[in-house]
Amino acid sequence: MKALKELIYQLADDDFILAYRGSEWLGLAPHIEEDVAFSSINQDMMGHATMYFQLLEALGEQEADQNAHLRAPEAFRNAVLLEEVNGTGSYLHQPNYDWAFTVVRNYFYSVHKKIRLDSLRLSSYEPLRNVAKKILMEQQYHLMHWEVWFRQLLTSTDEAKRRMTEAMVKVWASFGGVLTLGPYYGEMVKANFIDDENVLKTRWMSAIKKVLNETNTNMLPGEPGMTSGNGRKGEHTTDLQQAIATLAEVYVTNPAVSW
Amino acid sequence: MQTYLSFDDLTNEEKYEHFMERIAAGEKIEADDWMPDDYRQSLIRLISMHGISEIMGALPEKEWVPKAPSLHRKLAIMAKVQDEMGHGQLLLRVAEDLMAPLGKTREHIMQDLFSGKLKFHNVFHMEAPTWGDAGMIAWLVDGAAIISQSMMLDSSYGPYARALKRICAEEVFHAQHGESIVLALAEGTAEQRALLQDSLNRWWTSLIMFFGPKSAKETGNSNADKNIMYKIRTKTNEELRQEFFTKYIPRIWAIGLTIPDETIHFDESTQLWVYKDADWNEFKQIVSGHGPRSQERLALRQSSYDMNGWVREALAAKKAI
Amino acid sequence: MSEQEQSFYNVYEVFSKKTDKSPFQHQFSLLAPNADMALVMAKENFFRREPVADLWVVKRDNIRKLSQGEREMLSKLSKEYRETKGYGYLKKKWREYNQEQFTEQHILGGREESK
Repeated sequence: MKALKELIYQLADDDFILAYRGSEWLGLAPHIEEDVAFSSINQDMMGHATMYFQLLEALGEQEADQNAHLRAPEAFRNAVLLEEVNGTGSYLHQPNYDWAFTVVRNYFYSVHKKIRLDSLRLSSYEPLRNVAKKILMEQQYHLMHWEVWFRQLLTSTDEAKRRMTEAMVKVWASFGGVLTLGPYYGEMVKANFIDDENVLKTRWMSAIKKVLNETNTNMLPGEPGMTSGNGRKGEHTTDLQQAIATLAEVYVTNPAVSW
Repeated sequence: MQTYLSFDDLTNEEKYEHFMERIAAGEKIEADDWMPDDYRQSLIRLISMHGISEIMGALPEKEWVPKAPSLHRKLAIMAKVQDEMGHGQLLLRVAEDLMAPLGKTREHIMQDLFSGKLKFHNVFHMEAPTWGDAGMIAWLVDGAAIISQSMMLDSSYGPYARALKRICAEEVFHAQHGESIVLALAEGTAEQRALLQDSLNRWWTSLIMFFGPKSAKETGNSNADKNIMYKIRTKTNEELRQEFFTKYIPRIWAIGLTIPDETIHFDESTQLWVYKDADWNEFKQIVSGHGPRSQERLALRQSSYDMNGWVREALAAKKAI
Repeated sequence: MSEQEQSFYNVYEVFSKKTDKSPFQHQFSLLAPNADMALVMAKENFFRREPVADLWVVKRDNIRKLSQGEREMLSKLSKEYRETKGYGYLKKKWREYNQEQFTEQHILGGREESK
């Protein structure tokens, strides 16, 4: 039971925190049409997180809104990469956000999310299986969206290639945190909740290798790292603290009432 | 109509006459049609201002997107602000097609915004310091917008009418999203109610200003009149403001809020609302970029535009297929 | 503005089918640097709520449109001889031969009217 909950917390928090980072971009994307498209993806992801929070509620965890807004940072199980700020400045004041980092982070994450969902589709836990099937339908579009951005920027101007390469190096350094299933990984796999993390990782690596090959880009060296800590163990950065303080700012003024 | 004569053979005077006949007959003018210069200019002025106001209007509400106090509110306000950007997209496309023969594109619209040449709606120059404002904007600012937009649904300019039709279809969701936030606060704790009342106090004058100064019939103003002559719009500013009062004042009172204007009442003899008019000099100051948040919002819009310049350049370099 | 930025803004017209059975219909236009981008943006810009079964984007430059002069030539004189208007007397004629006039359904082979 602990392993199942841990797994669903990882799924919920990954989508929740990345959707939060995405929501900070609203109104600031490179192109008005893209702003609209990107926002749909963030809404979808936050909707996915909500479904996972509801699964947790059914397993005896806190009510979804409390769970999303009142947990301490060390109780979050998202990968550290996904909590990282979009850039310097804030979404209200002098944002210096990096679109290349956003494209790479979202694309790499979308590829992994699809692989992970394909595995969860066959999970031994039926409610999780059902949620995974629903999410997969929307995930196809997300993947297509980010793949178009990824491929196009990677095959355009020298400046774009340079920015994309820098972003890939940065994302690669902590993508290991997305790939790991954390301390309860053995039990998750034994109970057939999800496939072995090494199997998922191999699938992810070959998908990335393929697209880099097709865009004449060198494969990144070695294995994806976990330089800023393992979020699956509750290790996080100040970026997560800042995110929680913002997303819960109104809610914490009175969690008992209806808003 | 002289259908036996080819349109291209008509003199300019005949084209003008033909154009006015079409408008009178309720026909829709399309982007490539011949149109008098001042019709084109009126449309560009109106629609580019409307479009850029939607884009700038996303900013005050956007402040509350990451902070919305529940998962459902987070999703709904994200969808709502996304719609505002989407409405901006529709309207800017309409304005861009009108400007194209003058050699102008979206880039010029953005530059005109940054230089202060292109104005945006007074309400989006104002502060939105609390969650109460997220509710007030969606309920009353959008409520005011619905009234002025639905008046133009039958606009003589076809592309504008079609964009507004799409926009109005979404405004129903916005109105209910706003009502839901406002009612939750109105029925909540004393602190929540105070949040709401403060917000109404803050927004009331801006709402009076929203429809613009009294026009032609009342004071002899020009733009609104020309738009009525060309059937771009059908009602004066004051008619719209009165409609807004009739629609919303009873509800504001019903949920226990106080309007910050002791003089406001409905005069049975004239069938009009009597109210304290706004200071229109202040209005001019606000829309010319001197409102409490004008410069911050413009700076935010411009810095996001500039920081992403490399993306537009990168993709422009790829040949369009 | 640089010439490069200029070419970022291409106009694409967006067409869609609501269901498998419905014909393509023009929806609106958007700006995009190329067709693939136009396609990924079209879906969320115009179909956030409505169902959509298929989607086309077409670069506006590739559409040959009518000019206003050409469009105004489309209005034409009445062409009643192309329509069923003048044939009301047939019903009476067939009666004289003790026959009922075919309805549209009969003429089209008695198939159920497809909707």
